[in-house]
Amino acid sequence: MANRVALIGASAIPVGKHQTQEEDSIQVVEHEIMAKVVRDAMAEAGVTKEEIQSAIFTTPRPYTKQYYFHTFLTSHLKLRCTGNVMEVMGNGMTGSLAFDQAANEILLGRAKVSLALGINMESATAAYRHMMTSMRTTGDVDFHSPAGFTPISWYAMDATRYMHEHGATREDLAAVAVKNRYHASLNPLAQYRKHIDIESVIAQRPIVEPLGLYDVPPRGDGAVCLVLASEEVARSLGKPYVLLRGRGFYHEGLHQIDDAPNDMISFQAAAKASAAAYESAKLTPDDMDIAEFYAPCTIVEILVSEALGLVKRGHGAKAARAGETTLGNRIPISTSGGLTSRGHPALVTSLYNYVEILEQLRGTAGDRQVKNARLGITTGELGNYNAALIHIFEGMQ
Amino acid sequence: MKLFSIHRDNNHPYPPRVTAFTKPFWDALGKGQFLTTRCKNCQAQTFPPKVTCPHCWSSDLDWVEPGISGKLYSWTRVHAAPAVFVDIAPYALGIVDLDCGIRLACPIVTDQTLQCDIPVELISIEYRDGYQLAARPVAS
Repeated sequence: MANRVALIGASAIPVGKHQTQEEDSIQVVEHEIMAKVVRDAMAEAGVTKEEIQSAIFTTPRPYTKQYYFHTFLTSHLKLRCTGNVMEVMGNGMTGSLAFDQAANEILLGRAKVSLALGINMESATAAYRHMMTSMRTTGDVDFHSPAGFTPISWYAMDATRYMHEHGATREDLAAVAVKNRYHASLNPLAQYRKHIDIESVIAQRPIVEPLGLYDVPPRGDGAVCLVLASEEVARSLGKPYVLLRGRGFYHEGLHQIDDAPNDMISFQAAAKASAAAYESAKLTPDDMDIAEFYAPCTIVEILVSEALGLVKRGHGAKAARAGETTLGNRIPISTSGGLTSRGHPALVTSLYNYVEILEQLRGTAGDRQVKNARLGITTGELGNYNAALIHIFEGMQ
Repeated sequence: MKLFSIHRDNNHPYPPRVTAFTKPFWDALGKGQFLTTRCKNCQAQTFPPKVTCPHCWSSDLDWVEPGISGKLYSWTRVHAAPAVFVDIAPYALGIVDLDCGIRLACPIVTDQTLQCDIPVELISIEYRDGYQLAARPVAS
């Protein structure tokens, strides 16, 4: 039988503002955080350092002074590997790609235990400065960046169109932010945990109309280490683990925008990649107990919930408003608090999503535990969801 | 089909690079014309102009003037802007579906409230050091 991949342990620091200013006399440095996170993840998994044969890192932000971070940390921890040790970069998909590659190392038989890990430090850089770089990642640097497009401006245009086509209101979108904040209030790893209501979401200053401050992700830092293993290793440990059941990828050959009219808010990449993932797992959207999305804005969570078939087309906003995606109800989405409240240290954001999947599907999510959660789905994305990487998981008690 | 032009007294906040290939587009924009590439092999038009046809990969291309009228597919107004755009924020951006079948994204120059599907036309913004393609609402 082919190898099967299990998630057997994880550790992460709470998402928040960890990065120090350049002038601070005492500095916070990435490798000191990361080394402890790796040690804690391995202790939780219950495997030894010598068993690690591969380590797939997310690329740090350019603000991280130590370049070639992955091999530096490998030296710090004296990891001797026969599988790949490398960094991956794919903007919002970075964390998902790191997980996917760490899983491949096991599927290819190069490793029995592999790590997917990384640190994203950026909060000490003001948003308007950070955007000087991020605006070059979305659209065309000669035909879009000169107009002032920013990454979330594209999602804002999704929101405008969605509201136009489906009659959704700002209050409907705000329901996603309120729900995610409630979930975050139950998650010790979340950046923002104080309850908010729809009125307070609407009252925030506009960021990219129609989206306001609470509709878009906060800036934050984070560090995560996931421990993956062959199912054989996972089973030998005699405790619950989470099995990778399905996987799908699709790139629609677009970068933000097509050169001919298309249905921009149908998120075709998420639809096709999730269809492939359901097919490979021999499961359907109705089988899912939880979903943990890469959804930087309230509108994105709505559109992804529709593209993945968890909610009917055009009903995503109404479903969120009706509470269908809240803990305890039909299909809890972003039980971690999502990108809007758990936080969005972008290059490791998806790694946090796998931490949530692990907690939920092995039954260790504490106050936010979804009862009897067995199957869950995660997403990673590029551009205006022009590409998507989807994984489906099953908890094995 | 001469583009309406707006003059600004400052330099472009984030000027585009002009290449030997895209120079005809920028030169035409300076003269109030909207040009892009059309594939001679499969007839597909594309914007921004591209050295190979994205559909059939042919490099046998024509520069054409595909028209400047269209509809506003969607829009936003950016309040939280990158450093070089802070002085002009908030500013409107949109996605325009031209009648000729091209979709593009550009600034929308207007004081009025925007709505999806309103008629728009392309215009040019003339900075001291170059040009920017944009659009504005027009009466239906």
